[in-house]
Amino acid sequence: MEERRHTSSHYEMELQEIKNALIYIGVLTEKAIQMAMQSLTERNSDIAHKVIKDDEEIDKMDTELEERCIKILALRQPTAIDLRFITTAIKITGHLERIGDMAVNIAEKAIQLNEEPKLKPYIDLPRMADLVAEMIKDSLDSFIRSDLRMAEKVRQTEQVTDDINEQIFRELLTFMMEDSKSIHRALLIMQVSKNLERIADHAKGIADMVTYMVTGDCVRHQTYPLDEKEPA
Amino acid sequence: MKRNLFLKILFSYLVIVCLSFFILDLLIKDEIKKVMTGKIESELLTYAELIDLNSAQKMSEQLKQIARISGSRVTLVDAQGKVFADSGKDIAQLENHFNRPELQEARLRGKGKSIRFSQSIGVDMLYVAIPMKSKSQITGYVRLARPLDDVQRVIEKVYQSIFLAMMIVMVIALVIALVFSYRLAAPIRAMERFTERLRQGEPSGTIILKTSDETKKLADNINYLVDELQSQIRLANEEKSKLMTAFTSMTEGVLILDAEDKIEFVNSALSNMLACQYGDINGKTLMEALRNVDLQKAFLKFRQTHATVFEEVTLGSIEPVILSVSISSVHNYPGEEKVMVVFHDVTRLKKLEKIRVDFVANVTHEIRTPLTAIIGYLETIQTGATSSNEDVKKFIDISLKQAGRLNRLVEDLLVISKIELGEIKFHFEEVSIRDALEGAIPLVEAKAGLKKINIHSNVQENLPQLWADRDRITQILVNILDNAVKFTPEDGSVFIEAEQKDNYAVLTITDTGIGIPKEEIRRLGERFYRVDRSRSRDLGGTGLGLSIVKHLMIAQGGKIEIESQLGRGTKVSLFFPLQKV
Repeated sequence: MEERRHTSSHYEMELQEIKNALIYIGVLTEKAIQMAMQSLTERNSDIAHKVIKDDEEIDKMDTELEERCIKILALRQPTAIDLRFITTAIKITGHLERIGDMAVNIAEKAIQLNEEPKLKPYIDLPRMADLVAEMIKDSLDSFIRSDLRMAEKVRQTEQVTDDINEQIFRELLTFMMEDSKSIHRALLIMQVSKNLERIADHAKGIADMVTYMVTGDCVRHQTYPLDEKEPA
Repeated sequence: MKRNLFLKILFSYLVIVCLSFFILDLLIKDEIKKVMTGKIESELLTYAELIDLNSAQKMSEQLKQIARISGSRVTLVDAQGKVFADSGKDIAQLENHFNRPELQEARLRGKGKSIRFSQSIGVDMLYVAIPMKSKSQITGYVRLARPLDDVQRVIEKVYQSIFLAMMIVMVIALVIALVFSYRLAAPIRAMERFTERLRQGEPSGTIILKTSDETKKLADNINYLVDELQSQIRLANEEKSKLMTAFTSMTEGVLILDAEDKIEFVNSALSNMLACQYGDINGKTLMEALRNVDLQKAFLKFRQTHATVFEEVTLGSIEPVILSVSISSVHNYPGEEKVMVVFHDVTRLKKLEKIRVDFVANVTHEIRTPLTAIIGYLETIQTGATSSNEDVKKFIDISLKQAGRLNRLVEDLLVISKIELGEIKFHFEEVSIRDALEGAIPLVEAKAGLKKINIHSNVQENLPQLWADRDRITQILVNILDNAVKFTPEDGSVFIEAEQKDNYAVLTITDTGIGIPKEEIRRLGERFYRVDRSRSRDLGGTGLGLSIVKHLMIAQGGKIEIESQLGRGTKVSLFFPLQKV
């Protein structure tokens, strides 16, 4: 009896460690987004280079976490909610890793933009970045606490980021029409916005996975087919 | 409890009673039998001898009579065992008695007896025989037989008495057991109730028993234990409250993790430090609660080394707090290792350090820029690189302008340091807000006109008078208005409004300018702090304006608050005290 309780509590600890590792990666990605945006708004390419370098850690953590999950699957053979937890964790870390990559994309665009004169003050982009970082945090919180309401909040915020992306798109279009010299910069900014919008999609993906984990229902692809939103 | 004890006592009594009667029975039954049988035997022998005295002829006639008197069956047997007279039965039917044990015994020993079960009557019979002799020759035997049911009857009688006695003793035992168990259980019950109250945590005092046996001793011991326990509890509580007071009143934040790395305790200082940015963090892990990578790294390092780990972490994103953290294990808990994390807020220290470093860097930079220009131009003149008077005049003009800027800078610095040292004298008087504005607005109107900026002043007349230094107020207003105009693009507006709020007259100056990023606002007012360095210096400023305003406001008992939205504009609120300071 004593032995069984010990192993069970050890198992519990392993699950907790996975939670911690996920938050860890989540915080790293949030930070990556914030720093990429900081490098853009403060026109400081050093920060962008740091983001690109720090992404290695996210990738490493991602692989590590996946291995750990597979190990639990093999050794503990979890069932029901635990099984869904592990599979969800594997999918979420995939999402987070992609988010990290997109932060790198933004950082790369920032480096290019910083070399050219400022097109316009960034107002909507930082706002969008804040929203997106918040979404990642909320989606992970909803995962940790199995909180469906929070997951729903993430899904709603995703709509807002879509709208901001549209707005930025239209605004940049006017810049490009006015001055053909601004096209290159406008396109870069547009890509930054697009990347942020994609990150929001991934955060929504995490929220959907959380809904699946808690209820067992699949809510992905319900409002729209994900493919429609893929960049060309 | 009581019933149990009673039953136990009763049971043991009953066992003793039953056992004693059983032994009594064993002892008495045989004894009675033996005594009774012996008595009957000797009686029968007596009769037999009496019969023997008579002649055989006479005996046969008297046989029935003798049998009636002696209460027994009399049989006369000749030497060969043939029955020749019997008081009970017909002699023709009786067989030869020679082999009967009592006859054999009588033949050999002179008298014989035997107890046999008589089939004909169905009871034990005692047979007694003696030989009849004439001249030492056995001529026959006299045999008497009597059923032994008398003995049985006596035994039954005795048993009846014994049973009655047993019942009486049992009833007595029951009563004694009741009384005894009650007496025994009373103090035990009292102690039980006492300890039960104690267990439920009621204040209990001491237990007093009227007995003086072992229970008394037990009660004394309980009293002693209770005393001991309560002083221990009191001591523990005192220690705990001391510790809690220390935890709650200390400025360092303290957090304790349980054996599963979940947050078990957070003191109020830490809650304040985190300023509800993180919600309820109890029961979560460090990573879940504070979401800080550096802290988690430090924690993992601590888990590996089990030695105290020091780390500096920045928590929160909107208003970051810099915390110096130490992670160490709590040794007081054996078996399960708990972890104590102590947070020390060094935000202010770090900020002051940064301000100091920035200040030195800024001062040198601000001073060096005009100096470089002056030196450059003067060197050009000195080396005679240019000979035209016009150029020389132009260079000297520029140098003079730069020197003027340098002078302004030093003047401003002097003003600030004077205010800080309290050396500046304020001439307090009653100033009306409208007067003050009328003194200040014309000074910036020209500049505003160039950028086509409208200054809308909307101040009611019925506002109370300010208690302040008129010149200083003008200085403050000019500074703020100048800033508003400076950072507002063309065709913008500046609004001035005034109202009374609590004990303050609040003057708000709102512009439609470029705004200030949220995270920069709290650094405004630091000396030489500029939001956008390149730009504001172009607009001609020393970087000390707001700093001076802030200091002047504070010196006059007021304060300044700034709100801003990037790209929308900035709102500066000046709070002037209405009462005389």
